Amino acid sequence: MRVEIERVNSKDEETAVIKAVEITDEISGAVELLEGGNKSFAVSYEDNAYILKAEAVYYIESVDKKTFVYTKERCYDTKYRLYELETMLSGYFMRCSKSMIINLKKVRSVKSQMSGRIEATLLNDEVVVISRGYVKEVKRRLGL
Amino acid sequence: MNRFKFWLEQTMMISFAIFSGILIEGLVYKFVEGSPLSSFALSWYQILSVILTGAICSLPTILLLSDNEGFKTKFIVRVIIHCIGLYAAVSLIGWAFQWYTKIDGFIMVTIIFFMVYVFVWVVSLWFHKRDEDQINKALEDIRDKE
Repeated sequence: MRVEIERVNSKDEETAVIKAVEITDEISGAVELLEGGNKSFAVSYEDNAYILKAEAVYYIESVDKKTFVYTKERCYDTKYRLYELETMLSGYFMRCSKSMIINLKKVRSVKSQMSGRIEATLLNDEVVVISRGYVKEVKRRLGL
Repeated sequence: MNRFKFWLEQTMMISFAIFSGILIEGLVYKFVEGSPLSSFALSWYQILSVILTGAICSLPTILLLSDNEGFKTKFIVRVIIHCIGLYAAVSLIGWAFQWYTKIDGFIMVTIIFFMVYVFVWVVSLWFHKRDEDQINKALEDIRDKE
């Protein structure tokens, strides 16, 4: 497929138009990637409800059947289960262990451990572990 | 990773490493000791035993080294237990399939075992390092600016 990129002056003007004969898996994947940052979902913090943009999320963790959403500086609660958020967000959001979803766009660097696991240092200097079973999927999402 | 695929990969890697070890042993016989290669023949069951060893040695690898989040033991302790366990298994298989009949043969099997063990680790770590480099490079293109 031919790709044309036209520069615009503001974020509001950013638009992607895809002209295709049929919607293939690749196109669906591209749409998910492009839309990923615009998705938002309900969270709560100290009994106040908020709508959180997906692009602000660093990672999401499930602890004792509760789901916590981590941004750069805060940790929110959400009523959504991990698998629901995994489906809802997709794109660069992906499962990195049984109890965690990571936003690959917030990963500064990764370092492999002897065990095959990968330690991911996020942009806020937090370190999360990507289980070995998910490394292949990380590579797939990154187009490797 | 699919456990069966992991087991198959490990089996192939270990078998290949053992065959490489046998090749080195053959070269030592031929060029260092000057013995004729005809005295260094492998029976069909010994070849089969190498593949069997690869398959058997891969099982504890899956159990001990796989990414089981339930394991709390320190990784290095698991590696030591793994190494000792495999060494015992290889010694027993070697005795059963007559890889050695005397002490010098046993010493050679021991040397090959540790060479293979180190080889498999070096290859695994090289794969991990390659993944790390590829992922880091790909992350540069998508990383948010903050």
